[in-house]
Amino acid sequence: MRRVTRIRLGAAMLLVAAVASVSLVQAALAQDQTGSEPDEKVVFTWGDTSEPTSLNPMAGYTALDFYFWTPSYHLLIDFDENFGAEPGLATEVVTSEDNMTFTYTIRDDLVWSDGVPVTAEDVAYTLNLYKDNNAYLPQNYLTLIDGDVRLLDETHIQFDSVGPTGLYNGDAPYMYDYILPKHVFEQVEAGNCPDGTDPCRPKLFENVPNVGSGPFIIEEYVVGQFVRMVRNPEWAGSEPQVDEIIYRIYRNDDALSQALQQGEIDFAYIDTPNVYNSLIDAPNIGTLVASIPSFSEIGMNTGSAYQEAEGSFVPHGDGHPALTDVTVRRAIRMAINSEELNERVMLGYGLPGDTIIPPVSLAGARYEPSGEDLIAWDLGGAAQLLEEAGYTDTDGDGVREMPAGSLEPGRPLELRYHVRTTEQTSVDAAPFVSEWLDQIGIATEVIAVTGGRLGDIINAGEYDLFSWGWYPDPDPDSALSWFKCDQRPPDGAAYGNNDSYYCNPEYDRLYLEQQLALDPDARWEVVHEMQRIYYEDAAYAVMWYDPYFQAYRSDRFTGFNPQPPPNGDLLEGWGGVSDVWLTLRPVGADEGGGGSSAEARGISPLVWAVIAGVVVIGGGVLIMRRRRVRDEDV
Amino acid sequence: MGTRRYIVGKVLQAALTLAFVMVFNFFLFRIIPGDPAALLLRGTSAFNPENVAEVRAELGLDEPLPQQFLTYITDMATLNFGESFYLRGAPVSEVIADRIWPTVLLLGTSAIASAAIGLIIGIHAGWRHGSRFDVGSLSFTLFVYAMPEFWFGILVLMAFAGGVGPFPAIFPTGGYETPGADLTGWAHVADVLNHMFLPFMVLTVSYLGEYALIMRNSLIDVMNDDFVQTARAKGIREKQVLWGHVVPNALLPTITLTLLSLGFIFGGAITIEYVFSWPGLGLLTVQAIDTKDFALLQGLFLLFSAAVIFANLIADIGYSYLDPRVRAA
Repeated sequence: MRRVTRIRLGAAMLLVAAVASVSLVQAALAQDQTGSEPDEKVVFTWGDTSEPTSLNPMAGYTALDFYFWTPSYHLLIDFDENFGAEPGLATEVVTSEDNMTFTYTIRDDLVWSDGVPVTAEDVAYTLNLYKDNNAYLPQNYLTLIDGDVRLLDETHIQFDSVGPTGLYNGDAPYMYDYILPKHVFEQVEAGNCPDGTDPCRPKLFENVPNVGSGPFIIEEYVVGQFVRMVRNPEWAGSEPQVDEIIYRIYRNDDALSQALQQGEIDFAYIDTPNVYNSLIDAPNIGTLVASIPSFSEIGMNTGSAYQEAEGSFVPHGDGHPALTDVTVRRAIRMAINSEELNERVMLGYGLPGDTIIPPVSLAGARYEPSGEDLIAWDLGGAAQLLEEAGYTDTDGDGVREMPAGSLEPGRPLELRYHVRTTEQTSVDAAPFVSEWLDQIGIATEVIAVTGGRLGDIINAGEYDLFSWGWYPDPDPDSALSWFKCDQRPPDGAAYGNNDSYYCNPEYDRLYLEQQLALDPDARWEVVHEMQRIYYEDAAYAVMWYDPYFQAYRSDRFTGFNPQPPPNGDLLEGWGGVSDVWLTLRPVGADEGGGGSSAEARGISPLVWAVIAGVVVIGGGVLIMRRRRVRDEDV
Repeated sequence: MGTRRYIVGKVLQAALTLAFVMVFNFFLFRIIPGDPAALLLRGTSAFNPENVAEVRAELGLDEPLPQQFLTYITDMATLNFGESFYLRGAPVSEVIADRIWPTVLLLGTSAIASAAIGLIIGIHAGWRHGSRFDVGSLSFTLFVYAMPEFWFGILVLMAFAGGVGPFPAIFPTGGYETPGADLTGWAHVADVLNHMFLPFMVLTVSYLGEYALIMRNSLIDVMNDDFVQTARAKGIREKQVLWGHVVPNALLPTITLTLLSLGFIFGGAITIEYVFSWPGLGLLTVQAIDTKDFALLQGLFLLFSAAVIFANLIADIGYSYLDPRVRAA
């Protein structure tokens, strides 16, 4: 009786499994049929290995975040493809005779994506919002504004500066401040975030979906996976030829490269030269190494433990005392061969580095050391510099010692050299740098740590040399500001941009002078002098200017817009509404063909249904067989 | 010892362990040097003392440590895990909830598959130990057990997503689904399965080794016990000896392993999630550590610990039913 019941149960199980499998197959067939209809949407999908920090211009601060703002928001004065100024939301700037009052005329033909007109009220509100809330990046460009930005009428705003300055007269795209919809952010300030962000505050507001004035708006952000942007229905400018922009997050370059080759994405920013090299000859893949404002350096602890207390800064850390001596730092700079590092580590794709303003910056901003100012690679010269300054190898162990009368006479020049495990090129450069320093009598202990850990070490001043990099704005102001005395990590725990603890009152004075310079040429003169001082004082040995590796599906999309041309960022990452989002189009779009859409890859739903059926039936049979064997036990 | 008393004791023990973990979590992450507020703004023009002070206040880091601890305990008692530091303002419970499903789906199915396949291999190898199958499967399981998942994952990715040589490029290279494809119903399920297949395969193959090895050894031990000889002496068929007498007894050591593995599911598989860009809790943990996101780390570690403690509790209780000698001990 018991056995008969079990057989019935087994048969019922098999029947259920069979019915379930047939249902799945039917559902899959139905989905296959509907899914086989051609998708008309043109989707441009690009990928990288980073997560946005925020899609809200109040709170985002990495280079990646800007790619979600350039299709969606306007700047007052926009960047052109060469980082020069071109009209943005402002059509005219009138500057008072004393160069302290600025009146902006605002376009009146734009509408936010929710149908509300864009007015000067939005502009005045946004700039005051940034100022009053310490918006992370935007407030940096508003520090010279005295008091509030005033609304004059629907198309005009006005503000005063703390002193005469040429930064706000519209000649350069200095104010890197995206204009936001007042009617949305007013609600956010009142604690009613439209997207339900809770707690609701301007810098915590997620801003998804957003209300934008550009051709695309942010529709969806799934953390760790993707950001999706769709057309702004109210956009009245040139019609984009792409319906959606999708950013996909991958966790490593290998997966990113495979995704590009298999057509899952149409464009990728690659981090590692080797992966980039593997794509150069791949079919249907276009590649371009861009030059962008970026550099990598060996930073030196110029004296965190030995400098005088000033303001919030108190001496801390245990940096090697020899590095307080500019002669030692210059010798180290002289021993580092930037050209060879670029060739061997960056595989020749970067540019040899010297000063802190990269070749790709606002025209005229960069100082190029030459003649007597140039600290050229010269191991013999570096050794001679040390020898003449009294750093000799007294005990014959190959390592020089500090001279009499120095901070620690007799202390060997043995330096800790921190590299970042999170940046392969930082690690790869270490053997070269160590070898060169060894040849001039400086021993190094290479210590590999994560970026987060190195940040702590630098804040604590417990290092001698480190390897890191920066992505400055095209305008040199922000990069120059990092090395002022008040930017040093103050107390051993808190962060400071000035990671080499460089402090030079003359440099600080010049920083203010360049901010208040009226004439661009006069400003560049001061900016050049600041670069020269920092270069000569060798707090940083800039190793190279980084390349930006880009690869794209040449069979799918065209109309990229390198910034600056011809070898710049193909997705034009600097500026307000970047032209690239309007020029980007599917290959063959002019002939009514081509295009790319988000297509799912893999086994079809039908096959999965069959597999599911087989697993269910197979499992049922297996379980029944085992039970039968057990039941036959005597 | 009575069954009820035994269970109550185990539950109390688990609750105490969890309470200890909660306290430990708070101090563990705060002894990591550095300032999370400053780290958030590192290397950007956004850094200035006002911004750092504001972020510190927002994160509650400007309060004295005892006050922070009190707030933490009160919040935990009310299941309020706070807001993520890095994902500005997002509630920790929501951030974790978003990632739990992909993690459980991938790790749960692969744990079940690796246990099932591993146990079957172990049973057959142990039953016929010394045979060609035993030698072959032993070599295979030792190999996959020792194989770095990361390396295996990259190979699988290149072979089946990139299409190297004879291998067809069938599956997606990473992620959980195809964004923008607007798939629904069974088509969406199939899309997720396609994304999941390669990491699932790698995890299943990587973990089946330990199940197979433990089952094989356990089976060989049990096969020499007296009751097996008695069963054979009674004339029971070999298959019945295996499935009716040997396997049920040999399964005991694997129960703890299986249940603990299920507990570890919530921890994610960091390396595999990294290779296949799978948006699970493992990757989230790495991100939280990188950014010193105390709130998120506290929430994650509490979840991981609670899952393991709970799995352990179930294993203890389950074991006591399967082997009453445990209760008596």
